[in-house]
Amino acid sequence: MEKLEMEPLVHTVGIKKYYPIKRGVLQKTIGHVKAVDGVDLYINKGEALGIVGESGCGKSTLGKVILQLQPQTEGKVFFEGQDLSQLGKEAMRETRKKIQVIYQDPYASLNPRMTVEQSIGDPIDVFKLARGEEKRQIIIQLLKDVGLSESHLKRYPHEFSGGQRQRIGIARALAVNPGLIVCDEPVSALDVSVRSQVLNLLQELKSRFNLTYLFISHDLSVVRHLCDRVAVMYLGKIIESAPTREFFVLPLHPYSKALLSAVPIPDPAISRDRIILSGDVPNPANPPEGCRFHTRCPYKTDLCVAQEPILRQAGNNHYVACHEF
Amino acid sequence: MEEVILEIKDLKTYFYSDKSVVPAVNGIDLLVRKGETLGIVGESGCGKSVTCLSILRLIPDPPGKIVGGQILFKGEDLLAKTEAEMRAVRGNSISMIFQEPMTSLNPVFTVGDQLSEAIRLHQGVAKKEAKQKAIDMLKQVGVPAPEQRAREYPHQLSGGMRQRVMIAMAISCNPDLLLADEPTTALDVTIQAQILEMMRDLKDRLGMAIILITHDMGVVAEMADQILVMYAGKAVECATVKTIYKNPMHPYTVGLLDSIPRMDVDVEKLHVIEGVLPDLSNMPEACCFEPRCPDARSICSQKEPDLEQVGDSLVRCWKYCPEWRQ
Repeated sequence: MEKLEMEPLVHTVGIKKYYPIKRGVLQKTIGHVKAVDGVDLYINKGEALGIVGESGCGKSTLGKVILQLQPQTEGKVFFEGQDLSQLGKEAMRETRKKIQVIYQDPYASLNPRMTVEQSIGDPIDVFKLARGEEKRQIIIQLLKDVGLSESHLKRYPHEFSGGQRQRIGIARALAVNPGLIVCDEPVSALDVSVRSQVLNLLQELKSRFNLTYLFISHDLSVVRHLCDRVAVMYLGKIIESAPTREFFVLPLHPYSKALLSAVPIPDPAISRDRIILSGDVPNPANPPEGCRFHTRCPYKTDLCVAQEPILRQAGNNHYVACHEF
Repeated sequence: MEEVILEIKDLKTYFYSDKSVVPAVNGIDLLVRKGETLGIVGESGCGKSVTCLSILRLIPDPPGKIVGGQILFKGEDLLAKTEAEMRAVRGNSISMIFQEPMTSLNPVFTVGDQLSEAIRLHQGVAKKEAKQKAIDMLKQVGVPAPEQRAREYPHQLSGGMRQRVMIAMAISCNPDLLLADEPTTALDVTIQAQILEMMRDLKDRLGMAIILITHDMGVVAEMADQILVMYAGKAVECATVKTIYKNPMHPYTVGLLDSIPRMDVDVEKLHVIEGVLPDLSNMPEACCFEPRCPDARSICSQKEPDLEQVGDSLVRCWKYCPEWRQ
């Protein structure tokens, strides 16, 4: 879809991920949940791409496919120009080192029976990067990088607050010097005052280590703050992607507009016209024909019901999938 | 001035464990008038949900206990009522909606059954009439095809629809006061916008008062008339919504407002409130925000400030007291 000037760090071609729905004694497949249904995207080195959308739109599944934690049903994921599905076991292991992940729930993503030192040291052991005192020094440095200290080494996860646990998760992801970090709702479970601390940390680490983020979030204001580019997903498809600044000033797709106008602004003095969508997100096992958004779209025409729009260029680096453009 | 629906005076709710006492709510005063929305904001563990549960006397005892204060609902002290009297209040003149609509609905009864149960219990109408009223309520909260939906089970509904059913249940007996504990936190933004719009509309139509608990400064800015900011079991600031956003007084409120990424303002780096929430079982005698406060002086760690009237706001901070300059 998108013209590339330089080789991006990651790009995907027509990624589809279907989950079978099984019924009956024989567990016959009677249909598929189309979690991701044809996604092309690219992320340049040093860039933060925000994926936004409502629950069930497939943004987390997309993250899992890019991490290759789940094989795609169709399509290809390229990392540094290499097709990940073509890699052998050993080469894949090497590549895994370069793609790390930070999860939403800092309470569930750390092993409660491992100390901080063991948790952060685990990926170092797995990839045999360092041992003994050298490893300890690396871990101490990582803790300092994320705003913790040497005194935390021997502690267990339950001794930490949510924000601190998320910092440990970040340190663990950084332990193997990754190129890409998939952040799946990293601040959604945190309180407001702690959330800003973690967001600032992610921002600082990105510029310090020249990291690339795939930042999955449902919170548009967080994405606006942290990301360089935004892609909006709806029912397994990207319906708009644009540079952050442009997207928040001039969203094109009717769904993006509604999404933006639905975000409450913490200032009672600002009043604005709100677009309130009617209805719910349709079932991804049975997405509507034609444009997927037409069941909720205020501007739908006959064409929208009949034909599915493709992602077209609508400006500099701005792509939108809507018949209006 | 409209009549006062609810007044809370110096409410204290403590939780007891073998080792320690956790003062989850430690001296809250608030006042809600007819047709008014009071927003209670604060971070997790600050006692906002416990305040709400205390109003309905739903605190599990043990370990919890309301140890002091008064909760005056239309002039009557709810804390002095017997359990039987409280049952007549709950769901009738005061009702509550919770954050997670799936866990608050019974999975083995249809939506219509659950709705008509509350109506029959409190209004003593016949089964058939209650059923019809249940369908009317579903219509009122914007559930499409209410006759059919009433026959469905909670798992057949989406999150937004379930929350609508919860709201229908809560308003089915025309309550004077609705307690809404994070009603939209589990929902997507576009659905959140629908629900908030509906709640505003219902409030205007039915003239009830709402206490809205949330951690989202955006939601509260759009919904509330008055705001109460809580920190570690205490009220630190209380004022009208316009005053709080235009002129926040307490350093915690200031920090909270500055630390959220905004859709309408660009910032290079987010403001950070240093440190972490204090441990409630081991609270300092002095100001509870002092360890994190950028403006703290020696007096802050010695004595606790009172909630004082400063300009248009009530603030609990030494900064605005005469002792500050000494």
